[in-house]
Amino acid sequence: MPAVKETIEDVRQLESDKYKYGFTTEIEQERAPKGLSEDTVRFISAKKGEPEWLLEWRLEAFKRWTQMKEPDWAKVGYPPIDYQEAYYYAAPKDAAKYKSLDEVPQELLDTYKKLGIPLKEAEVLLGVEGAEASAAEARNEGSQRKVAVDAVFDSVSVATTFKEELKKAGVIFMPISEAVHEHPELIKKYLGSVVPVTDNFFATLNSAVFSDGSFVYVPKGVRCPMELSTYFRINAEGTGQFERTLIVADEGAYVSYLEGCTAPMRDENQLHAAVVELVALDDAEIKYSTVQNWWPGDSDGKGGVYNFVTKRADCRGRNSKVSWTQVETGSAITWKYPSCVLKGDNSQGEFYSIAVTNGRQQADTGTKMIHLGRNTKSRIISKGISAGKSDQTYRGLVSVHGKAEGARNFTQCDSLLIGDTCGAHTVPYIECKTPKATLEHEATTSKLSEEQLFYARQRGLDEESAVALLVNGFCREVLQELPMEFAVEAQALLKVSLEGSVG
Amino acid sequence: MTVALKLTDMETALIDQLPQDAPLRAVLSEHGLPHRRVEEWKWTDLRTVVGKLPAEPGVLTFTISREPDAWAEQDEEPSLLMPRLASALGEDIQVYTLEDGERLELGLEASSGVSNQQVLVLVPEGVKAELVESYAVEPDGFANLTLVIVVMPGAELDRVIEQHASPDAALVVTSLIDLAPGAKLNQTTLGFGAKLARLETHVSHAGEGAELQLDGAYVLDEGLHLDQTSLVRHEGPNGVTKELFKGAAARGAKGVFQGKIHVEQAAQKTDAQMQHRGLLLDDKAEIDAKPELEIYADDVVCAHGNAFGALDEDALFYMRQRGLPESKARALLTQSFLAEPIERIRDEDDRERLLARLMVGLEALS
Repeated sequence: MPAVKETIEDVRQLESDKYKYGFTTEIEQERAPKGLSEDTVRFISAKKGEPEWLLEWRLEAFKRWTQMKEPDWAKVGYPPIDYQEAYYYAAPKDAAKYKSLDEVPQELLDTYKKLGIPLKEAEVLLGVEGAEASAAEARNEGSQRKVAVDAVFDSVSVATTFKEELKKAGVIFMPISEAVHEHPELIKKYLGSVVPVTDNFFATLNSAVFSDGSFVYVPKGVRCPMELSTYFRINAEGTGQFERTLIVADEGAYVSYLEGCTAPMRDENQLHAAVVELVALDDAEIKYSTVQNWWPGDSDGKGGVYNFVTKRADCRGRNSKVSWTQVETGSAITWKYPSCVLKGDNSQGEFYSIAVTNGRQQADTGTKMIHLGRNTKSRIISKGISAGKSDQTYRGLVSVHGKAEGARNFTQCDSLLIGDTCGAHTVPYIECKTPKATLEHEATTSKLSEEQLFYARQRGLDEESAVALLVNGFCREVLQELPMEFAVEAQALLKVSLEGSVG
Repeated sequence: MTVALKLTDMETALIDQLPQDAPLRAVLSEHGLPHRRVEEWKWTDLRTVVGKLPAEPGVLTFTISREPDAWAEQDEEPSLLMPRLASALGEDIQVYTLEDGERLELGLEASSGVSNQQVLVLVPEGVKAELVESYAVEPDGFANLTLVIVVMPGAELDRVIEQHASPDAALVVTSLIDLAPGAKLNQTTLGFGAKLARLETHVSHAGEGAELQLDGAYVLDEGLHLDQTSLVRHEGPNGVTKELFKGAAARGAKGVFQGKIHVEQAAQKTDAQMQHRGLLLDDKAEIDAKPELEIYADDVVCAHGNAFGALDEDALFYMRQRGLPESKARALLTQSFLAEPIERIRDEDDRERLLARLMVGLEALS
């Protein structure tokens, strides 16, 4: 594998500081008043200058939310969240366009540097005038693979790169707050059509207070010319991040979307309740990859992000395909089930997941594959690694309805335990209502093989590197599904996340 | 947002039979009987089904190979709701202490109306014995039975259960089993379902060489429902569990398999395997499964598998080519598919008897 050398380099870098994203950027923040009420919702909507219909939509969600009960079925434990103690909106003050890079606050620039975003792209992200063209040039010169980035910094999408170039291809990629004004017809049509306002407690909360996120529309027959990418970063103290992503792939379109998340180290818990909606029409394909590396809290379980996310794809069209790939190493608590509703005949859903928990992390994650159309196919590969005092659950549903003749599912969930103070659980639900379906499910739980470890160490690897190597092998089926940019990062992350788990 | 529960006539009648000071009264009034909003009963809506059945007391007829050794009063209340109900409303517990080489036959037939009973079976240290059960409920009947089985160190028990098709009736059999260090239990169930039937088995598995084989087969026809739920809790090291469940459903029938293997931190070197395979014979049938693992020990080998599908078309084609009519070919394939758990019964007579019963059940399907 050519990536090995790079991986070793990356690992070396990462080793020096365990959580390199654990920095705070000291810039002035503009916040909504603390707490959540109808006024907060109105405040956010007014800040965004939203049309009346969207405000109504939010208020309706808020009303529903006040009547809903926080779900307690997941195998995670945390003290009750006081929803009135959080800030629901924080924007870097004066997110207006800058004339040149000199005007950009140095702190913000440093943040991007630490996130590893090239300066040219940072310029664009920050909204420096005329930067888009030069960034595109810079990238083209280096003949690298292009990645367009939309960065969500706390609650606000700062800017989107390569907008012009994407525009040429007809692809819309912009903060959802802008899309509301520029493409209201698309937003009205698709927002909440996959994850309804009333879907669940956290999704409803998000509907009420979502502040920004990305919107992607790939028109008929267009293959998006580059990978699209979003960085999410929770920065301000005591804020929740409620981003909302909506991706629509029209007939025959293709798009690959990457999502990376980081958050600074903080003592208190930060709440992240995002909603991601994907719509794939006839013959369309969406590939959605996530590397989630939110601050997991310290080794005593203090601090960390509560990641309560609703992600769902609607394979509406015939022959449509959605593929979820996730590498989950961060967050104190993860509650996340990226799902596919396979409505269109011959549509396909895939879920590839690696979840690593260490320290006192808790993860309850999995997927739902709802087979409604004929000859629908789904594939679930989940690899869970528990270490330290962590607890991890794969929870999934495969449901085949009566009309889904010829449906096919294959599920494999493997868990690896490192140490005897952690837990690994598998909770699959399988429902079948047609004789013309084939569903297979396999799950195993085991520990790292002593023999393999011994062999690797004999070859001169220290124990941690040996563990990382074996874990990488354990996860390879998922790692190879990741886009190149992420595969390298993910391999390095796996190792860092497992630091201190052996010996 | 809690909406006060509107009790069914059945629930009201059950509550009325309980003593005024029984804590179970409050539990039943608040939560009612188990229903589909209760996670463990997601696919088996007992409340709705028995809510439509007459609530008057029923009669239990026992066909037993011998008299119980004793009748005992409950000293400790069980924690699960259905055994609690059986304990509160049933007569004194029938207690059997098995002798070495004994074969205890326990046939239970419930009339219409509600019946509750508890049975305690003790298998003393070093004893090898057999327990053969059969259950049938007449139309309009609701039988709730609890068996407490204690297999003491080094003892071996072969348990064979036949559950007869009981249309328009509900049956809940809860087995609470203690498997001591070095003990062995081989349990095989053949079930044909009821309007609603649930055979629930809980095993406290002490490990230390203890072995559990938990098997079951089901054939469900004409809207019948059978739920086989099990929870095996490995509490000590070096325990073995092998589970194999296979079933077929046709014509509006519904099969449910819920199996959970829980491995505590102390239960290192546990070897636990669980398999469930379901065959849907037509497009009105439904099978749901939830094979669960909950593991807190790292040095274990645990696996579960689940598969649903139709008969292998290639095999069918091959058999037809050899001159077998399609219906015959289907029957043969279904039979060989379902026979596997039954063939693992160690006692030859029981094995043959249940295989024959399986054939009869399958013939009724075609």
